[in-house]
Amino acid sequence: MRIRDLAIYFGFDKLQRLYQDVKIHGGLLMAIQKFRRFDDLKSGRLIGQDKYGNKYYENLYYFFGRSRWVEYPEYKNCEMDGSQVAPEWSGWLSYRTDAPPYADPIKIYTKYKWMLDHSENLSGTKHAYMPYSTTKPKIEAWVPKKDD
Amino acid sequence: MLRVPLTRAICLTHSSRVLVTASARLQSNIPAKAPEKVEVFIDDQPVMVAPGTTVLQAAAQIGVEIPRFCYHERLAVAGNCRMCLVEVEKSPKPVAACAMPVMKGWRIKTNSEMTRKAREGVMEFLLANHPLDCPICDQGGECDLQDQAMVFGSDRSRFTDIDHAGKRAVEDKDIGPLVKTIMTRCIHCTRCIRFASEIAGVDDFGTTGRGNEMQVGTYVEKLFLTELSGNVIDLCPVGALTNKPYSFSARPWEVRKIDSIDVLDALGSNIVVSTRTGEVLRILPRENEDINEEWLSDKSRFACDGLKRQRLITPMLRKPNGELEAVEWETALIGVAQAVQNAGDKVAAVAGSLVDAEQLIAVKDLLNRLGSELLCTEQKFPTADGTSGTDFRSNYLLNSSIAACEEADLVLLVGTNPRYEAPLLNTRLRKGYVHKEQDIALIGPKVDLSYRYEHLGNSSSIVQDIASGKHPFAQRLKSAKRPLVIVGANALSRSDGKAFLAGLHSFANQLTPEDKNWKVWNVLQTNASQVAALDMGYKAGVEEIVAAGPKVLFLLGADGGAINKDNIPKDCFVVYLGHHGDNGAPLAHAILPGAAYTEKQATYVNTEGRAQQTLVAITPPGMARDDWKIIRALSEVIGTSLPYDNLDEIRDRLEDVAPHLVRYGRLEENNFYAQAAQLAKLQASSLQGDIDVKQRTLADFFMTDSISRASPTMAKCVQAVKKAQATA
Repeated sequence: MRIRDLAIYFGFDKLQRLYQDVKIHGGLLMAIQKFRRFDDLKSGRLIGQDKYGNKYYENLYYFFGRSRWVEYPEYKNCEMDGSQVAPEWSGWLSYRTDAPPYADPIKIYTKYKWMLDHSENLSGTKHAYMPYSTTKPKIEAWVPKKDD
Repeated sequence: MLRVPLTRAICLTHSSRVLVTASARLQSNIPAKAPEKVEVFIDDQPVMVAPGTTVLQAAAQIGVEIPRFCYHERLAVAGNCRMCLVEVEKSPKPVAACAMPVMKGWRIKTNSEMTRKAREGVMEFLLANHPLDCPICDQGGECDLQDQAMVFGSDRSRFTDIDHAGKRAVEDKDIGPLVKTIMTRCIHCTRCIRFASEIAGVDDFGTTGRGNEMQVGTYVEKLFLTELSGNVIDLCPVGALTNKPYSFSARPWEVRKIDSIDVLDALGSNIVVSTRTGEVLRILPRENEDINEEWLSDKSRFACDGLKRQRLITPMLRKPNGELEAVEWETALIGVAQAVQNAGDKVAAVAGSLVDAEQLIAVKDLLNRLGSELLCTEQKFPTADGTSGTDFRSNYLLNSSIAACEEADLVLLVGTNPRYEAPLLNTRLRKGYVHKEQDIALIGPKVDLSYRYEHLGNSSSIVQDIASGKHPFAQRLKSAKRPLVIVGANALSRSDGKAFLAGLHSFANQLTPEDKNWKVWNVLQTNASQVAALDMGYKAGVEEIVAAGPKVLFLLGADGGAINKDNIPKDCFVVYLGHHGDNGAPLAHAILPGAAYTEKQATYVNTEGRAQQTLVAITPPGMARDDWKIIRALSEVIGTSLPYDNLDEIRDRLEDVAPHLVRYGRLEENNFYAQAAQLAKLQASSLQGDIDVKQRTLADFFMTDSISRASPTMAKCVQAVKKAQATA
């Protein structure tokens, strides 16, 4: 008991926790890789996974607001954005409901067949929506005839 | 005094003209005594004026401006708007200042209680039937009625319209694609009527009805078919006649106004270019008594929308597969430079009709450095043996000056239709005809010049007869006090043009006008660039280039068709430097986009030899650049840098070549008439066939160069005129 208090006093438990986290993530290299992508090294209980490969975790050790998180799939590398979260998981992730989508009794999210598939926000990428100008140009350029 | 000059205009429709002129001549032979001046008092200020001066003119002499709607300095006095009412002491009623000649000792009060009350009453009457649509009226902001209602009108309205009867309304007229009419706004000043019949010479407008029923119109539905129709827009003091292409596009206070020069004919009319948001919105005339007075031809005024169509906005190079491809400036300049370097001294340049002096000198310097002298203008001018050609400036200029043309007493027009080649010169001739007993004769096709003239025929043998003195008209020219011979540049560009030049020039020099300094020999140029090019030593006509078969040919806005696919060698590398894709650009292997006349500060010399400069109203579109700067950049890539880096330096160079090119606004005196005449030997017999002019009717007037050909408004005008002519 006293040793444990001392350890807490000197912060050794944090080191121990770090060791645990590194171990859970599969070694130092893997942990560094995770940290590089998420700027954080958290371990928790895997609640579920959506069809895009996002994994949703929960660890109540962290306080409310940080206790649920998403880990984006490997293939996204650092191209991550909050809009990549599947819509059915959005409610759970932002604490609107405690039940994950597969076990939600009130069906906070229902996918109907007429609904379009979710797509992430493409602003800032080359696929971003760019409306074209419908105004006439002030100067009409001469276009050479092909046969000239 | 006021209406006497009009007798001749009125007589146009009667055959009694000869009688009237004869009697008028008789009167004019009596030497006039210098009239004694009379003293009048304007607001207690004494002023000495010639008898017959109107109250309004007398007031203007000491800077007192009397409000007016119908009065205009250049039109006959109508006196029907009553806005110029002023009080004259001891006169029971106010008098109309514009029509009332002053009497000795009159005391005129332009700001008395009675005057102000009269003005307020007139204004109230005008406004009682004038719509309150200033917010949607195009004249708003430049409306005489608005301004004068603010200054002289009442501060409150008595117009209540309890019965909701509405104001008087008049149906709009369709008078063509240029002038929009909103006849309800008309205040019946009749300025447009007087302009049409006195200056344009088209008696189309008139009034019908009286009092409240009075309407200005064309009697039967009819287009206002004249080359000067746009001027009624400026004359209209209200928004009844407005600019149709410009309608609803801008307010006068939000446009930027830049003084410039028109280049669509060779007169160099002074203009004001109105721009907003990087577009030329409209062009208005600027007053210049020596050139355009305050008028402007329709082409110069309305062709400005051609500056937005068919523009060359990127450099282009022809790919091996024969297609023109847009490239960067660097690529284009290197491509052209390589072709020039491979060509040695087989480089030539043709100057088109809209080229400025800076560009001409830059190209000339570049080609001379490369060892080539093949610099030509598109339009021919006789240079062959028997004439001194372009060696003397006086050979190719309108020597007597535009303003002096109205002073002549006998004018011989040869192979020209001044009405369409230079509309504002034609107004001068018409002015001389109407007001100053000028007689005019024409050799060439019978065209409508808007005044009566003696048609001597269209055979070129008549020219020869006159030159040799056989023709009876030659005797009349010899006895005339101030004779003028005006020869069209197109007549001189014929293959036998040298016979015209030699014959008429030596004949003109034999004449002995009353005034020793009176110049008889005049050439009416049609291209704005021609005089500057000839001044600089460009050769007229492209024969020399065709004969030489150059390897690189610069087309400087040459769209006139003198150079075509068939008369240049197959392997000739053609560089088009200009602003419009017209006739020249499709021939080109490389296109270097230049600036149009509204987009550069450039020098132009008009047909009387007056250098004037345009100013930058907007920036050239896209990647287009100032033309002389393109040549300067090209010279550096070629490896023979031209020694000027800015406008001042290139103008110094212009001054070295010909000092008059930078004396802006001044008319340079010409001389060497006798020497030119000595060199001009009479050609024995080479004149054959008939004389023709390119612009016979109004339909030929509107589209004559790359800018007006690109203009949708001009296309509409041509269509409207053709339709009107077909139904007439």
